[in-house]
Formats: sequence, C-alpha cells, structure tokens
Amino acid sequence: MLPSPARDRRIVARGLTRRFGDKLAVDAVDLDLGPGGIVGLLGPNGSGKSTLLRMLVGLVRPDAGTAAIDGAALAGDGTAVRRRCTYAPGEIALYDEMKGREHVAWLLRGRGLGALRRALDLAGALGLPMEKRVHTYSHGMKRQLLFVAALAPEAGVRILDEPTEGLDPSKRAHMLGLLEEDAAGGTTVLLSSHHLGEVDRSCDQLLFLNAGRVLSRETADSVHAREARLLVVDWGDGAPDATLSGALEGLGAESVRVAGGRAAVVLPAPDPRAFLARLAADDRLPAPRSIEYGVTSLGELYRDVYGVEGT
Amino acid sequence: MSPAVRSFVWRVLGYALVLEGMLAPAILFWPNFRDNLGALKTLAPLPMLKDMVDELGQGGVGAYVVGQQFFKGCNTLGTAAAVLFAMGAVAGEAHRRTLEIWLARPVSRARQLTERYLTGAAALLVPVYATTATIPWLLARVDESMELGELMLCATHQSFSLLAIYSVTFLLSSLGRNPTGIAVAMLFLTTFQFAIYLVKQVTHYSFFRLTDVRVFMKILGSGELPWRFALPLLALSVLSFAGAQLAFARRVP
Repeated sequence: MLPSPARDRRIVARGLTRRFGDKLAVDAVDLDLGPGGIVGLLGPNGSGKSTLLRMLVGLVRPDAGTAAIDGAALAGDGTAVRRRCTYAPGEIALYDEMKGREHVAWLLRGRGLGALRRALDLAGALGLPMEKRVHTYSHGMKRQLLFVAALAPEAGVRILDEPTEGLDPSKRAHMLGLLEEDAAGGTTVLLSSHHLGEVDRSCDQLLFLNAGRVLSRETADSVHAREARLLVVDWGDGAPDATLSGALEGLGAESVRVAGGRAAVVLPAPDPRAFLARLAADDRLPAPRSIEYGVTSLGELYRDVYGVEGT
Repeated sequence: MSPAVRSFVWRVLGYALVLEGMLAPAILFWPNFRDNLGALKTLAPLPMLKDMVDELGQGGVGAYVVGQQFFKGCNTLGTAAAVLFAMGAVAGEAHRRTLEIWLARPVSRARQLTERYLTGAAALLVPVYATTATIPWLLARVDESMELGELMLCATHQSFSLLAIYSVTFLLSSLGRNPTGIAVAMLFLTTFQFAIYLVKQVTHYSFFRLTDVRVFMKILGSGELPWRFALPLLALSVLSFAGAQLAFARRVP
C-alpha cells in the first residue's frame, strides 16, 4: 500500500474547468491557498462559486484541471480529498425526520467519535436543540447544524459554501469568530458568499469570481481602500450621460463610469471632501438625487470597480 | 437505534406482516378450497384462470401453497415492494435535494451505493424467506405438510425474480431525479406483464411465466433451482447493479 501524501493544509488547483451543457460554469481556475487563514470566495449568484467548491471536494468531476486538498490529489470520486477536508453545502436540505443529534452523527460518519463529541459541544454553544427533529428547525438553525458538522472534525482544510447565509448578525459573528479561532490554529478555510460585508472582515484574502473566472484577488484592506475611493452620485434620468462624464472627469476624478444618470467616480485619494466641493461649485451640473460614499455592495463593486455588468 | 436501522426494521416488519396476512388465511382456507374445486373452476372467468385452478387441483396442496405464497403474494405485493424500496434509493435523494449531504461524507460512492442496494434487497427478501418458513407450521393446522427445504428453494427462485425487478428499478433511480415517475413506470410495466400473463395467446411473453405455479411445481418435484430461468434473472440483477454504480459514480448533486 502506498503511503498517504503528506498533509500541507493547502488548497491547490490548476486549470479547473467544468461545463454544464453550453454553460461554462468554471473556467480554468488556478488557486494556491493556505496553509492557514480564511479565504473568501465572492461572486454573484451563478458566478460559479458552488461548482468550484463542489469540484474541490470531489462532488462534481472537473472536465479539465487538477486539484489537491491538504496534500491529497483530487481523483476518482474524491473520497481521499473528503477524508482530509470538511465541507458544508450551500443548499440547506436535511433529513427532516431525524433528530438534530442523529443528523449530526449521520453527517459525521467516518469522522470518529471525537468529532461527534465536539459537534455536540459546538451545537450546545450555539443553542441548537439536538433532541428535536430537524423539521422543527428554522432555516438558520439548519444552517448552523451543517456548520457544526463541518467545524467539528479535525481537518487541515474546511470548504464552506455560504455558511452565514440567512443568519442574524450575532449568530454570523459567532460563527465567523469560531472560524477565526480555527484558522488561527493553522486550518485553511475557504468560504463563499455573495454578500460583501458579511464575511470580508474575517477573511485574510478575497477572491472575486465572475462567469467562472477569478476576476480579482484582494485583501479585505484593499477592498476597503477601494471603497474609500469610490463615490456614487445619482442624477436619475435628468442629465445626459455624456454631459455628466465630461464634467466629472474635469473635476479631478481618477476614472468615471456613467450609465443612466448614475456616476461611479473613483477618487484620487480616500477623501471625498475636495471632490464634493468642486462638484457643488460646478454650475454645469444639476443637483444630484443622492450621493453614496464608503458603502459598496458586491454588485456595485463588480460594476463600478471591475466594470462587469449584469451582476 | 440509528435512523437507517429503524427504517429497515419498519420496512421488513410492515411488508412481512402483510405477506403473512395474505398467506395464513389462504392456507387455513385450503380444506374449503380443495372441497370446492369443481365449483371454483366453473366460476373462473378466463381460460388461463380455469387452467390455473386445474393445475392447483392436480398439484394438490403443494401447488396451492406455492400459488398463494409465491405466484399471488410475492408476485404482487413483492413486486410492489421491490419498486417502492428501490425507487427512492438515489432519485429520492435528488428529489428532496439531500444528495449533496449524502455524497459529501468521506465514504466512497461505490460503498454508499452498495450499502443502500444491499439494505433494500435485504428488506425485500428477508420477509419472503421469513413468511415461507411459517408455511410448514400453518399447514400442520390443516393436517397437511411440506418440506421446508423445498419451500426455501422456491423462495430463493422467487427472490431472484424480485431482485431483478428491484435492481432494474434501482438502476433507474440511479439515473433519474423523479422517484414517483420511476415507480409509475415500473408498476405500469409489471402490471402490464401480469395482465398479459392472464391472456392465453400471449402469456408466454410475460415475465411472470418465470415464477408461475408450473415453475414452482418443477422445483418441488426436482428439488433443484431452474437455472435456465434463474441465471438470466441473476444476470439482469448484476448488470443493473453494475449500471447503477457507473451512473452513480458520475452523478452531480
């Protein structure tokens, strides 16, 4: 019998590609993550996040490319990979007829009794009623049950698909705190989200995915620096885009995108006051309807920073 | 008790109770049946049924018992159980969207599918053997007797037939996402097969010719399995299971 490859707590992928019919879901993605830390995979719905994560844990076979999780190469049905990592699916579909305790035990098959004990401790800390049947659980409780099962086993890598989706802010903060503790111990966590601002504070690195490709690799700080230089001014339909574009560029913007009377202005410095003063003084422009600064949704980031439409 | 074991026990108990509920009164009714064979023959509406009553009259209690337990009980209830136990094996998980959590555990797909196949097959076949084992005791209540070993051979042949239906349904379940559709298709097919069995001109095209009273009487007479029929049934099961494994290995949650 061949010795098992050494554990390295990393996620490595080269050219991972998957097509569903005519749709290219994941397009030649390369990853080199870890060891240790939390990596956020961000992207709008349909950007390929779930397919990429499913490929990494062997649930979907890639059409091309290779991957290795914690030193185990992705091959066959991915059992070797799943023995070295844990996974929480994005879709919440559980066996409603099982009790919480039974369900966690079922999810942790092959992980050992220690994992079950830790899962029950974690579930207790989160306040999950483990003696009740799952059909009595709320959406958030079901999400936490999957999270508990993914966090309890000893593993070098955890792959979590939208683990905080549908949770209230305090539960989300609690779960992210647990992940931060886990990552501080050397585990590499890859988690996905389609809400910027939900998970980015916990992430050491952010990968932005669009149409199956990695659009950008950022840190939370670099995203926040971008946000600090982004000013969105909306005039509605009252002002022609060409007029707005010409006028705003003349006010010292680093770059301007205008569509439908809405202008996304990238400022030369993370301080909008000088630009706003020039804007207020320019009598060629009508009064704007709204001005937003320092708050960016994922859709806005894609549209205004990366210039990707339709997100 | 784990949920999987609980589900297995309930399926076995429920199915065995109904099967026994069909068998026990029929055997206890044997003396009345024997004494009224002539009248029953005149009442039979189809030529095939008249032939069947004739066969039972000539074969005596042995033909009557295998007719009741295997041809009637297992071919009807057993077929329904085979379809019901297999239809949701994989398609049911896809339908309720639990396929992903099932596959996400660190256990190989081949092993998980094999476990599911064997559990369903055991739930299907254990009641056939268990209820067959009660036949000698029931016959003693009406002053008749049959060899348990010969009855078990009949149960084995019946099991090959049920296993084939179960395996084909299991293959469809591994390919599909709609368990109800699979069940309707299989039950339509098997009902159609049973219907043509009762039509003399086309009866030889029916699957149920492989498990009718004549076949079981041959087993009782020879003390051997009819391998000419049993081997193709076993081959169908093996091929269906292999096909299910191939389909499942590439299945996307």
